[in-house]
Amino acid sequence: MEMFLSSIASIRWQDIVDILLLSYILFRLYVIFRDTYAFRVIAGIAVLWIFQQFAISLGLILTSWALRGIMAVAALIIIIVFRNEIRNVLQGKNFQTFLWGFSHKGDLTPVEVIVKSINALSKKHIGALLVFPARDNPGDFVQPGIPWNGLLSGEMITSVFLNSSPVHDGAAIIQGTRISEVGVILPLSHRSDLPLRYGTRHRAALGLAEISDALILVVSEESGKVAAAKDADFTEITDDDVLVRILQKHAGSSEKAKWEIKKETLKLCAAALASFIFITSLWFSFSRGPDTFITLDTPVEYTTRASKLEIIDTSVNTVSLQLSGPETLIKAMRPEQVGVRLDLDKAVVGLNTFPITLDTIKLPPGIFLKKVTPPVVEATIDIATTKEIPLQADLTGKLPENLILTEIVTEPDKIAVTGGNLILEKISTIYSKKIDISDFSQSGKIEVEPLLNSISLRIAPGSPEKFSLSYIIKERVAAKEE
Amino acid sequence: MKYTILLPICIVLALFSSAFSEEKETYFALHQDSQFLTLDHASMCEAIKDYTPHNEAVVFSTAIGKVSCFTSFDPVPRKTYIYHKWYYKDKLSTKKRLLLYPPRWSTYSSIQLRETDIGPWRVEIYDDKGKLLKILRFSITE
Repeated sequence: MEMFLSSIASIRWQDIVDILLLSYILFRLYVIFRDTYAFRVIAGIAVLWIFQQFAISLGLILTSWALRGIMAVAALIIIIVFRNEIRNVLQGKNFQTFLWGFSHKGDLTPVEVIVKSINALSKKHIGALLVFPARDNPGDFVQPGIPWNGLLSGEMITSVFLNSSPVHDGAAIIQGTRISEVGVILPLSHRSDLPLRYGTRHRAALGLAEISDALILVVSEESGKVAAAKDADFTEITDDDVLVRILQKHAGSSEKAKWEIKKETLKLCAAALASFIFITSLWFSFSRGPDTFITLDTPVEYTTRASKLEIIDTSVNTVSLQLSGPETLIKAMRPEQVGVRLDLDKAVVGLNTFPITLDTIKLPPGIFLKKVTPPVVEATIDIATTKEIPLQADLTGKLPENLILTEIVTEPDKIAVTGGNLILEKISTIYSKKIDISDFSQSGKIEVEPLLNSISLRIAPGSPEKFSLSYIIKERVAAKEE
Repeated sequence: MKYTILLPICIVLALFSSAFSEEKETYFALHQDSQFLTLDHASMCEAIKDYTPHNEAVVFSTAIGKVSCFTSFDPVPRKTYIYHKWYYKDKLSTKKRLLLYPPRWSTYSSIQLRETDIGPWRVEIYDDKGKLLKILRFSITE
């Protein structure tokens, strides 16, 4: 209990933001995907994961292994089988819906217009199929027709289902105040217990009602009778009041629907609370577990805005950091998340001592520094400059006894070298790479490369990378006998 | 009375004569100093024979045992000295102080060669005021 209270007391404001943000993201994912089949499978996977953890804690090796396999397959199924559903959900949402909007059950439909249109069709014995989708996307179940997207009106509905219309045999999908699609072919029901008076139009209405939550209104061409198909059932429409009630219920504006909205709101609140509890527990298990210690050797990085500064020498290249934190965070830590960075902007030319403090160390959240070895880094800083330095050939080997090398001329005779001022001050000659003179027998000319001994030195831009070396060889004058 | 007139004249003449001779000496001394010490010839060689460098070269084998730096000055306005500073790979190895006498003078310095001396060398020649007169670069090989 004491440990729990101490961990509560050590929560920072960043931790609270962390929990709230993740909880909200989880809640939004629930809101967006809650009515999809993919969500049900994900919920199933979550239950399987809980069982797997339980199996692991009990030491049930085979069960935990099998559950893990099932979860892997289920994850694959979600991606392959429900890819269309996931795509439809994501495509159908706008920015507001993603961040804070809530989709209500169906859109408000102009009930009066529909009732009048149905009565007109019924009186004229014009056969019609009207689909009112709810949460399910009708596109997943029907054969697509012709996109219409026209404003809903009595005349429009009548014109679609007139015998002269080329799309009169198909269904019209009504979403909100618009006819979104016409000439849509619905799947037929295979039920054998339907009355004989029901024709293909009725079977089509029932076919869609069986597999989706849409409401389908059918006007019989023979009898002019109107029927509503919903949840695999037919309701005969005897008067306008029944039709109005059915449409209102489907649109969610009846008393029952209001109660359902309340129920849905409560469900959303419960989901929000569950998300918060889940993320909080997850956060505590990650960041407030038993402390683990780790020692990490980290390279020291230097930053500066002064491009002319050069590091000539450092006391160490890496420092050893002793870190502590929850086991899960320590295990998940990557080397690039940890770093020691020293700012050279206040450095002076010569020897500088930099203490390694918390300000100079980069650590991932939830990881704490216990000790640094060494606590200071010494670095010799210099200012980059360019200096012209004479070149000299560095010769090796031996000429034949009768020959002497009397003269060497280098072209150019000087080379521009860039590097630390302190180093360049000490250098008065740049030597060439070793030149073996053993094979020299007569005067000649060769190309040689300069040798820069310090890594901080480099040939200045514009200065040649190689220089030519002319040499003169003469016969040795024999020493006179004295 | 005669002596009283002649005495001051003699004194004045004596003083004038004395002043003229001092001026003459100073003039010659100044004239001689205005001739700068000039390095006429400088080279590295295997040996000095008959006051001249023998086998002037820029590469010397340790087998010959010795290497010399020969310098010849003309004119030498006054008795002075010069320095031969011997550097092995940018590090001062030895410094020789050599006397010069007017009106011209040749002098040299030498080092004994050992196996550890293999590498690039240079000799810097300075006058008594520390002015660099010449750099001679050479190599010691096996």
